[in-house]
Amino acid sequence: MQQIKVGDTLPTVSLKYCPYDAELKNACGIPQVLSTDSFKGKKVVIFGVPGAFTPTCNNNHLPEYHEKYQDLAKKGVDQVVCISTADAFVMDAWGKWTNVSDKVIMAADGNGDFVKATGLVQDLTKVGMGAVRSKRFAMVVDDMKVVYVGVETQFGVSVSGAGAVLAKL
Amino acid sequence: MTQIKVGDTLPSVSLKYCPYDASLAHACGIPQNLDVSSLKGKKVVIFGVPGAFTPTCNNQHLPEFHQKYDEFVKKGVDQIICLATTDAFVMDAWGKWTQTNDKIILAADGNGEFVTATGLVQDLTKIGFGAIRSKRFALIADDLKVTYIGVETASGVSVSGADAVLAAL
Repeated sequence: MQQIKVGDTLPTVSLKYCPYDAELKNACGIPQVLSTDSFKGKKVVIFGVPGAFTPTCNNNHLPEYHEKYQDLAKKGVDQVVCISTADAFVMDAWGKWTNVSDKVIMAADGNGDFVKATGLVQDLTKVGMGAVRSKRFAMVVDDMKVVYVGVETQFGVSVSGAGAVLAKL
Repeated sequence: MTQIKVGDTLPSVSLKYCPYDASLAHACGIPQNLDVSSLKGKKVVIFGVPGAFTPTCNNQHLPEFHQKYDEFVKKGVDQIICLATTDAFVMDAWGKWTQTNDKIILAADGNGEFVTATGLVQDLTKIGFGAIRSKRFALIADDLKVTYIGVETASGVSVSGADAVLAAL
């Protein structure tokens, strides 16, 4: 699938997530469906990571969005969604591990439907991470229309980071 | 691939894992290879779970093997390996989350090579878990020869649990 670009409409895909519950310290209950249709009428930042708990994702990419959440909200962002091709249980645990789940929606693209539909899938079999992984990216979606996409072409966080997204808002 | 059975030899595949380091509280460093061929001459228990951080795996299957570790050692077991088709970073985080990685080796079959080669793979696309997941199983391998194998056919832990394996030793 061709990579999604500015001006495109976000595809209708169902993700899964575990709704934030400050009481639930341990494993997620029952994952709920999060359809991209629910972003209609909203300004949403979606950023994708290759792997939950992996160094760059864990130490850089995800925390920056949590730290800058208020800055994003001030610029009209309604939701910040983190996606990877792990399942909702892993995403939920990761959100708790990094203490971000009060602000960032940790969403699971478990079958890779979203990353395939948007051309943002990568094969990481060579590093033992299987064939269906997300690229590192960030996008801003306004009422289902893509207004910004930044996809990393090398290691690290630049165009997909919170700073780059803020500059575009 | 046909399901592995008693008398078969374990396939020569490489798993990945993060070696236990009590001082490393947070994310794994660099995952290391765990070649199945290195289990030669040892008596090992390998149990497979469909998903790290999922309720049954998290609350029952994994903890039981940790709790009964000493009983396994008394019966001559050299290593207990927990396997899932996720990557080493997720497995390492799960081991820390459940505080089991001092005794259990949390191994990643990230490309599904082990479960595919042993016929223990299952497709969980229908619940958003992707096409390559481990069945819930436990096996005993003595010098790479399978001497016991229990694969669950329903929800829950019975023939793949610590008690069933202990009874077979």
